[in-house]
Amino acid sequence: MQTLTLPGSGRRGPGINWLRGLVVVLAATAIFLPLFLIFYQSFLTAPFFMPAKQFGLDAYRFIFDDPDFSSAAKNALYLALGLTAIAVPLGGMLAFLMIRTDLPGKGFIAPALLVPIFVSPMVMGFGYVVAMGPVGFYSVWAKDLLGFIPWNIYSFTSIVIIAGLTHVPHVYLYASSALKSLGSDVEEAARVAGASPLQVMFGVSLPMITPALAYAGVLVMFLGFEVFGLVLVLGDPEGHMVLATYLYKLTNKLGIPSYHLMAAVAVCLVMVTFPLVMVQRYLLKSANKFVSIKGKGARSKVMPLGQWKWLAFALIFGWLMFTIIMPLSGIVLRSFVEYWGEGVRLVDVLTLQHFREILDQPSLVRGIVNTILIGVVGGALAVICYCAIALAMHRKPDMISRFLDYSVLVPRAVPGLLAGLSFLWVFLFVPNWLDGILQGMDNGVAVWLSENAIPVLRSLRSTIFALWLAYSVVWLAYGMRLISTALLQVGPELEEAARAVGASRGQVSRDVTLPLIKYGLLGAWLMVFLIFEREYSTGVYLLSPGTEVIGAMLVSLWASGSTDLVAALSFINISLVAIGLGVALRFGVKLHN
Amino acid sequence: MKRDLTMNELTVNDLHLDYGTGATANPILKGVSMHLQKGEVVALLGPSGSGKTTLLRAVAGLESPKQGTIAIGDRTVYDGARNFELAAEHRNLGLVFQSYALWPHKTVFDNVAYGLKLRKMGAAEIKDKVADVLKNLGLGHLAERYPHQLSGGQQQRVAIARALVYNPPVILLDEPLSNLDAKLREEARAFLRELIVRLGLSALMVTHDQAEAMAISDRILLLNNGKIEQQGTPQSMYETPETLFTAEFMGSNNKLPAKVVARDGNHVQLDVNGARLTGTARGASQAGAEPTTIIRVEEVKISATAVDNAIDMPLLTCMYLGDRFECLFKSPDSSAAGLRAYSKYKLEPGRYWLQMPADKLWVF
Repeated sequence: MQTLTLPGSGRRGPGINWLRGLVVVLAATAIFLPLFLIFYQSFLTAPFFMPAKQFGLDAYRFIFDDPDFSSAAKNALYLALGLTAIAVPLGGMLAFLMIRTDLPGKGFIAPALLVPIFVSPMVMGFGYVVAMGPVGFYSVWAKDLLGFIPWNIYSFTSIVIIAGLTHVPHVYLYASSALKSLGSDVEEAARVAGASPLQVMFGVSLPMITPALAYAGVLVMFLGFEVFGLVLVLGDPEGHMVLATYLYKLTNKLGIPSYHLMAAVAVCLVMVTFPLVMVQRYLLKSANKFVSIKGKGARSKVMPLGQWKWLAFALIFGWLMFTIIMPLSGIVLRSFVEYWGEGVRLVDVLTLQHFREILDQPSLVRGIVNTILIGVVGGALAVICYCAIALAMHRKPDMISRFLDYSVLVPRAVPGLLAGLSFLWVFLFVPNWLDGILQGMDNGVAVWLSENAIPVLRSLRSTIFALWLAYSVVWLAYGMRLISTALLQVGPELEEAARAVGASRGQVSRDVTLPLIKYGLLGAWLMVFLIFEREYSTGVYLLSPGTEVIGAMLVSLWASGSTDLVAALSFINISLVAIGLGVALRFGVKLHN
Repeated sequence: MKRDLTMNELTVNDLHLDYGTGATANPILKGVSMHLQKGEVVALLGPSGSGKTTLLRAVAGLESPKQGTIAIGDRTVYDGARNFELAAEHRNLGLVFQSYALWPHKTVFDNVAYGLKLRKMGAAEIKDKVADVLKNLGLGHLAERYPHQLSGGQQQRVAIARALVYNPPVILLDEPLSNLDAKLREEARAFLRELIVRLGLSALMVTHDQAEAMAISDRILLLNNGKIEQQGTPQSMYETPETLFTAEFMGSNNKLPAKVVARDGNHVQLDVNGARLTGTARGASQAGAEPTTIIRVEEVKISATAVDNAIDMPLLTCMYLGDRFECLFKSPDSSAAGLRAYSKYKLEPGRYWLQMPADKLWVF
């Protein structure tokens, strides 16, 4: 019997994969061009669009001489360290209690734990102001009861504590997944030897997940350097600044856009975050060192806490109360009252006025629509892009894959605020630069391009595309992890089998790999939706008529003091996130890995 | 049967245990009773899914039974009627895990010392006791190593040392030898038996390997589907099984396509493909059901000449096992499984008489 050959087989050599090349070039451009601009700008003595600029270290000299900068840097360090010191032990203990013991109320604690991760820190910060600020709801009620307010949330210590407590869930996620894959036999051995649940936790469970805790520790320390919204809102009254808020305040410091100074601060911030991202990558590899997955230990009885049960529950409930219920209930209340202060009765001031006001302002309505669009449509497009990059790396262990593997981590080191700034520069700078080249070329095509293509490029800045690009690059590392987790589920032999029957690489991706990770991609879309709804800092510098999103508008409205609108927009933002979370929980999307 | 309860180190009475609750409840133990006396080694033997590990874990306090009682010495640790359950850490038992479950972040010394530290013993005393038990197990020179630096056999001994160091009244062993290589397993078996005898331990051991159970234990409890099928000394379990399940589980057997022709008390006249054989009825034979006839492989005697109580069959092949040959006999026209028998020497092809002593040919 004759062998059935593929049409055209035999003439195909190992040609260049153009599609892959295109993906790699586009990804590298989107990642490195903005970063390059920041570095370039930081070594100029004036903003890049000024004619009178030259290379120099003036920008660095200025910020290092500025006492505000050194105090902001010191605060940023204290915040990051304090946050880590609070979040890591609490997150580890919380994970142990949730995963291994008969803690009551686990069913409602588990989804509640995710709230601080998916609600924008800007919203959280605002929630604390309206709930526990000097005239916040809970402060006023506490004053009625006690005669004084037992807290001051504007002090730097309070900011550190709040930041620490709201980052507990990040540690919890990593600690709990490490605990789940830890065979329970080692814990049972300790119990049989006579250890109480608490002794098991400190003697065996937590030491055994040390690598995961170390990873989570570096992660939250990194997030600590990125904290922006919380300090912007809570640090303002007493003038506490961290590097990110210092950067934001620089805009107004000198009157003219002081881009070179901002770039210098940005470089300083990246110098801190980049090593932390690299350490994270290193730790993630060793994170599963101790973990042993045992088939037999899978079905294990939870540890009875005995008399500690209700104490543990009370502590966790207190944490939930402080980090979730109080700020969020504050926002909900504030968005439905006309005004609030001492001696005001809640029922007298209930109103829907703020929401009506939003509907009256076209820019705010556009912001809400844009926020939904960038989450749903932009999220889908971002997942498609992430998927293209992931497939360009999938099972091709060569230099290009390794380059991409490290490249996708780079945007992680650039906080959203900086990324937004650098994309603003890209859209301002690149058209000018191209225009300059084209005009210098002096031929028909160049003139036509200069007259027709450059204005289109310029106008991109004030479209939502600019925002989408910035969002997608900022969350590249996160999105890539979602996709690669899904890709890891596909057994290599399934793809090899398709190759063996004659499918090309492209056909394997299209006919085997992508159909198999379909549900993983849908889950990733939902997750990207959630983080795009939450994002606020990336849009701050890209905010212009047409690119409004709720997150960025919250920052600018807060600066102009419109508390009512901020409350109502925050409420809408929380609702969008809640819908996304509800869908995710309903369809059993894994919200973390 | 009258028993002095205070003599028992461990008493389990009518224990029931389900996995899951309500409609999805899956009964694992269906009323198991057992006891373990001081200085006695009892093996829980059974196929997978029989509930033997679950019983051990229930004794350790790692599974919650539904009803029944468990007592360690004269201390009740579980009483279903009173809804009382003592937490695992208060039961003072030693448990050796199948996977050893050594703590990878602690040295051998710290692994063993942990139980003593929890008992608030002084540092010097801990050092003496740990050194003592490590020496007893031949691990004296390995105290500063980490578990991953040890061989499988050494890890197992550390796990045993960790369970023994605080002198628990009963030591529980969950498939202690199953993680070792076949060669190492026989050495470890001898070591374990020697250790138990030398230290006078009371031990409850789970295993699915009947040879291991018979070699190490004083008494075997054979579990089948959540119930005790039969219990007794290894010898009585092997030589006088009361049920077909026990007979089949405890050794290698030949099953004969025999029909009962006549019964006279325990003596049964059988017909195997036309040949007449005499067998012995065992256990309570079920009325109506066709009885099963089996004989241990090693009880079949091969003879080149006609002998009493035998059937003749042609040799199919011989398998060399090292110390002997296992020979397979099968009639070419018969669809039934052949018969196996051991031979000291390799047999020439041909027909042989397979003699089956009447007292070893069991009819259930």
